[in-house]
This record gives sequence, C-alpha cells and structure tokens, in this order.
Amino acid sequence: MSEPIIKVERLAYSYPRKELVLYDINFEVNKGEVLGIIGPNGAGKSTLCKALNGLVPHFYGGKYGGRVVVAGMEVLEHTVAELSTKVGIVFQDPEEQMSGLALTVWEEVAFGLMMLGFPKEEIVRRVDEAIKQVGLEGFEKRSPFELSGGQQQRLAIATVLAVKPDVLVLDEPTAQLDPIGKFEVFSVIKRLAAEGSTIVVVEHEIEELATFADNILLLDQGRVKAYGPARDVLTQVEKLKSLGVDPPSVTELTYLLNKELGANLEVPITLDEAIKIYAEALGVS
Amino acid sequence: MAETKEIEMKEISPTGKAIIAVVLIPTIAALNYVGGVIVEALKAPIWGDTWGTMLGTLIGGFWVGAAGGFLYNIIMAFTMWGLPNWVWGFANVAVALITWFLMKMNLTDLKSLKTWAAVIGLFGFVYPAFTTAISIGVFGGGPLWKPIPAAVYAAVLKSTGNFYLANYLQNVSTEIIDKPISYAIAVIIASRIPKRFILAK
Amino acid sequence: MSAGISLLKRTAVEANTIFQRLDGRVKFLYFIWATVLVYIFYDPYLTLAFLIVTLAMAAYAKVFKPIAMTLLIIIVPWIILGVLILALPFGFPWNKTVIGYINVLGYRLPVYLEGLGWGITWPLRISVAISSALFFYLTTNQAKLVATLFKMKVPFKAIYMIIATFQFIPLLFDEANTIIQAQISRGLKTDVGVLQRIKNYLAVVIPLTISALNKVQTRAITLESRGFSAPVKKTFLYEARLTAADWAFLGIMAAVTVFLAWVYVTIGYSPVAHLQWIWA
Repeated sequence: MSEPIIKVERLAYSYPRKELVLYDINFEVNKGEVLGIIGPNGAGKSTLCKALNGLVPHFYGGKYGGRVVVAGMEVLEHTVAELSTKVGIVFQDPEEQMSGLALTVWEEVAFGLMMLGFPKEEIVRRVDEAIKQVGLEGFEKRSPFELSGGQQQRLAIATVLAVKPDVLVLDEPTAQLDPIGKFEVFSVIKRLAAEGSTIVVVEHEIEELATFADNILLLDQGRVKAYGPARDVLTQVEKLKSLGVDPPSVTELTYLLNKELGANLEVPITLDEAIKIYAEALGVS
Repeated sequence: MAETKEIEMKEISPTGKAIIAVVLIPTIAALNYVGGVIVEALKAPIWGDTWGTMLGTLIGGFWVGAAGGFLYNIIMAFTMWGLPNWVWGFANVAVALITWFLMKMNLTDLKSLKTWAAVIGLFGFVYPAFTTAISIGVFGGGPLWKPIPAAVYAAVLKSTGNFYLANYLQNVSTEIIDKPISYAIAVIIASRIPKRFILAK
Repeated sequence: MSAGISLLKRTAVEANTIFQRLDGRVKFLYFIWATVLVYIFYDPYLTLAFLIVTLAMAAYAKVFKPIAMTLLIIIVPWIILGVLILALPFGFPWNKTVIGYINVLGYRLPVYLEGLGWGITWPLRISVAISSALFFYLTTNQAKLVATLFKMKVPFKAIYMIIATFQFIPLLFDEANTIIQAQISRGLKTDVGVLQRIKNYLAVVIPLTISALNKVQTRAITLESRGFSAPVKKTFLYEARLTAADWAFLGIMAAVTVFLAWVYVTIGYSPVAHLQWIWA
C-alpha cells in the first residue's frame, strides 16, 4: 500500500479561548477509500473536517497540536488557499455556500477555478465535466438561488469537483435537505465513491453511510471512541447506543436477536446483507 | 488534564477576520437597502436605511461600517438615485464615525440618559449640518419629498427667508427621529448576536 | 420600492444590441461625462437634450422601461413639489423676476423665474445622472461588469463586495417578505400608531439581521476554502477589449465635448434658457 492521502497524527485543537474540541486524533485514509465520521452533536466532527483543509487552525486561530498531512502537504505549513486544490469541502447549508459572485449555475461552478487562476479553456472543460458528474445538465443558465435544496447541494459538490481535489470532505451534506434532496445527494456521493474518489464524510444517516463507507471513525467529546472497518465499528451496538448514536436498524435487530434469543446470526450492516442473512436463516432463497 | 502535556500545543493566530469583513461589508450594505424597503412596506416613520451602517460599526469596527454604508450608497447611486447621490456615501461614513465615537465612549446603554443626550446631540444636530452641506452643494437644496420635513422647510423659509437655515432645520426634523431610533435598533441587534461575530474591540 | 428590487434582480435574458456590446468602460465614461456636463451648464433645455439622447439609446437597447419607472418614482414628484415651493412666493431667497401669475384657490400668485429654473434644472440634472448610470448598469452584464471593474484597477475584494451586495439584496428581500408574512399571520397590523409601527419594524429587522449575520461566517469559510485568498491572478470569463464601435462612440463624445466647450466660451453656461447663477 502506498502512502495514505490523509494522515492525521495525534491531532489536538482548541478554538481561541475555548476548551479542547479535538484531542489525540489518529487515522489514515488511502486513495479511493471512504471514511465515515459519526458521533453525537458537539463531538467535534465539523471541526475535524475543517482541520483537513486548514480552516482549522488558520482561519479560526487557537491552540493546535499534532500533525495533519494531506496529499503530501502538512496543513499547518500551508494556507487554506494552497490546500484548496488538494481538499474540497462541502458544508451543511447549501445556500450559504453560494459564492455571491455568480449569476448562474455554470459561473458558480467556475468560481473556484477562477479564484485559483486556471486558464479559461481549462475552466470551460472542467465546469462542463463537473456539472455532468452531479447530474445538473440543463441547469447551467439557472440562478443558483432558484434551485431546490438537493440541487443546490449537488451544485456545491460540483464546485468542489471542478477543482479535482485529491480528497472530498462532506460535512453533513444531507442534514438540511428533504427526503428527495437527501436521495439526490446520496446518489451522487455513492457514484463518486464507486468511481474511486477519496471521501471523508460526516453523516447522521447511518443506514446510508453503511452502504458505501469503507472505514468509520466514531467521535465523542473530541476523542476517537472507535475506528476501523465500517463493519467492526457499526456492530459495536452497545457502545454506539451508549453515546446516543443509532446503529443501522438491521444491525441492532440482529444484535438483539443474538443477545436476547440466543440466535447465532452473522450481523449485517446494510439492508441487502440483512436480506441475504435472514433468507439463509429462514431457509428461503 | 494531565494528558494535554503529551501533545505539544502551538498558539496559532487567526487569518479569518479579513475574509469575514469581505462578506460582512456587502451584507451590511444589503441590510441598509432592505431596511429602507421594509420601512416603506410597514410605513414606519423613519428612513431606516442607516442602522445597517451603525450595526456594521458596532460589530465590525469603523471601517466595516463605513465601507458597508458607502457601498450601499454607491449601489443606490448606480441603480436608483443617480450618480451624484454617491456623495451621500460620505453621510454614511459620518454615521459610522459618530457610531464609532459613541461606542468608544461606552454610550451604548439605551437605559442611560447620557446615551440619549449624546445620540440626539450628535445625530440630531451635528450630523444634519453635514447633510445640509451636501444637499445644498450637490443637489441645490430644496424640500424633501416627505410631507413633514417639506412643511418644516416651507415654514422656516417663509418666516426667516433663510435658505440655509430652512434646509438645515428640515434635515434636523428628519434626522432627530430617524437616527436615534436607528441607533437603538443597531444596539439592540448587536446585543443579540453571537459574540463570535464581534470583530470590533 | 419593489421596482428597485426587480431592477436588481436581473436575469440572464438580455437583448443584444450595439449598446450591450459596447465596452463597459465606455458606457461608464459616458455616464460620468454626461453628468459632469449637465452640472457645468445650468440650462434645463440642454439638460433635457442629454436626457432625451440617453433615453433614446436606452429604448434602442430595450432597457427603457426600468429607467422610465425610476425617473417616474424619483424625479416627477420632486419636480412637482420643488417647483411649487420654489417658484411660488414661499420664500426662495433668490426669487425676483416675475414671469407670470397663476390662480391657486382664489389667490393670484406670482411665478418667479429663479425658483422655476432652479426647481426644474436640478431634478433634470439628476435625471441625466440616473438614466446614464442605469443605462451603463442595465446594458452591461455581470461578467462584463466584473471585467470592467477589474480593468479599472478596482481591487478584487472590492469587486466581490460590490457584486455580492447585488446578490444579497434580493435574497434578503425575499427573506424579509417571508418574515413580514409570518408576523402578519401572527397578528402584526400595519394600520397602527407611530410607536407600534416602529415596534413592527423591529419585529421584522431583528430576525432578518440575525439570520443574515449567521450566514456571514459560513460564506466566508466557503470563499476561503475555494481559493478566494489565493495569491494568484484571477481568471475572468470575459476580457474587456475596445472595438471599432467603442472608438466611434468615444469619438462622438469627444466631438460633442469640443462643441460644448465652444458654446460655453462664446455663449455661456446657460446657452438656451439664459438663467442666472443664483447664489453667485
């Protein structure tokens, strides 16, 4: 295995004049992997995302310890602008992420490339490609503010994809969307994951996360409570529940069947797996 | 917290304030504009288009307030009022300056009589001298198109025959109500927003 | 005032006449030039000529309607009120030349030349300034506006602030409308006393402002994450370049300038109406 794209070693951080929000965080993400970050509110998930593109510590200031290396660049030694070509970040609220300089969807996607001084022909090529990647063809000339929440969030993802970063960081990208919006955005994320993008995603929709995350990091009060392959973390039902995080329902159900009724089933983390396991157990195919 | 000693912590100074100001300034300008529009909608008896400038000064310091107010005037001059009106931008800079002065003198307690005396004195009498200079020098003076100030203007002109005094008192009659109310609005809002937005010391 | 909002809320649908294709700097120069000239001269006829030319160009460029609306809202009431108070014997101190009498409610009132000239010329000057500025603004699309400002050496951060204000205003306006509707459905009445109206105003602007400020930080973070502060030369989608039409337009302006300079020297600052400077 080659050098990981993200390497976080003993990261600790506190906002100016505040308590520590992250302490002794360690993890790695390899090329093409998806890392899901879960945990209760206030666990430090958003702060951790911002530590990957340098907003933490540069934008906010504060006390910082340990090391974060992304695509060979140590975050502490590079500006957010330099890191913006390596790490693309998408936040919760789609409207707040609009640049304020673009009249159309097309211009919004071009914004980051314009800021980074890409040549015009390159911008045209990349914008069209990014719009296609998130399925917003036909909306190029619309105002970003006339789109639905799900469309706006896909637009936010496209603005980031156009820069072709090594890592895509998504901070609760579906938290403020309606069910249709959530579905749209998850479809895009899943496709990107399947195509081999490296993604770090904070997500409360654990059932969805389980279907595409390779590894999961469970964060609570700024500390890592569990970290490893998705299956290993999501099947720690007691631990998740004690921190107020709901495991996938099929996982919890099977866990309870095993524990309370003495069943001896393999524990699934997705609905597809569950169907297979239960079909076998019940003797139907 | 014995563990904290294990990781060596460095103090990092923030770079975000500059960029927050870049976003805060157009927000202030837009608030001035929309503030004026809402006045029309609700028929409130004020201008209502400077509390954004005052608020910008209270939370972002003199330069953020002045830039936001100036920008508002530039944009209004380009779109609605006509070019010469960009000079009202200086009136907004004066508003920011007065607000900044009041803030520095800790005159932000709305329950204190001292605050109101200073606010009415500065915004009600000093500031109109400045706007009168602009309105005569650039626009030829004359009545405003709101009924009460226009009546004040006509009455003063009729009784004294002094063109400058008529313009000044007309401006006093609008500012003396509008600006203290706007200042109160700005102080109330500034006291209700999260501390992390306060860039001014 | 919603005319102002629709003015700001420009859509991508635009006419494409020669005036849209003119360079933004040329049109910007036109509006400064026209405004300065009508301020140098003190003559309602000359000012009116500038206004008519500007409005004719606007009509050709299919942007006449918003400009006419703006003039109607701002200038017409101003002229009516201004002329009434200044031209009639209500104390305008420079009034001395009586040019006629009118009957108002049974009173025979003299009409003064000084007040009439003043009351008509000033609003007309502003009309020229407004229509030429709007002409520039409405015929220059945003990408060209950004390129124009950049060519005029406006720093990029300032360009951002200007354009962003245009974008934030309609957004805030929509939000304000939502808040007003919500407050009305919760019992806010608009036909009330003065004090209550100010309270109403607070009930709308406080939530509006707090929501707007809450967005500031995320937007700043997003800009920063997308390379806003990158120390490189930004790419613009449109390059401002002067064409033959631009040079022709500049040529006409130069010729008119020369002609008007000659008029000023030989005839004076009020060549048609022959008004006097009244505060000299």
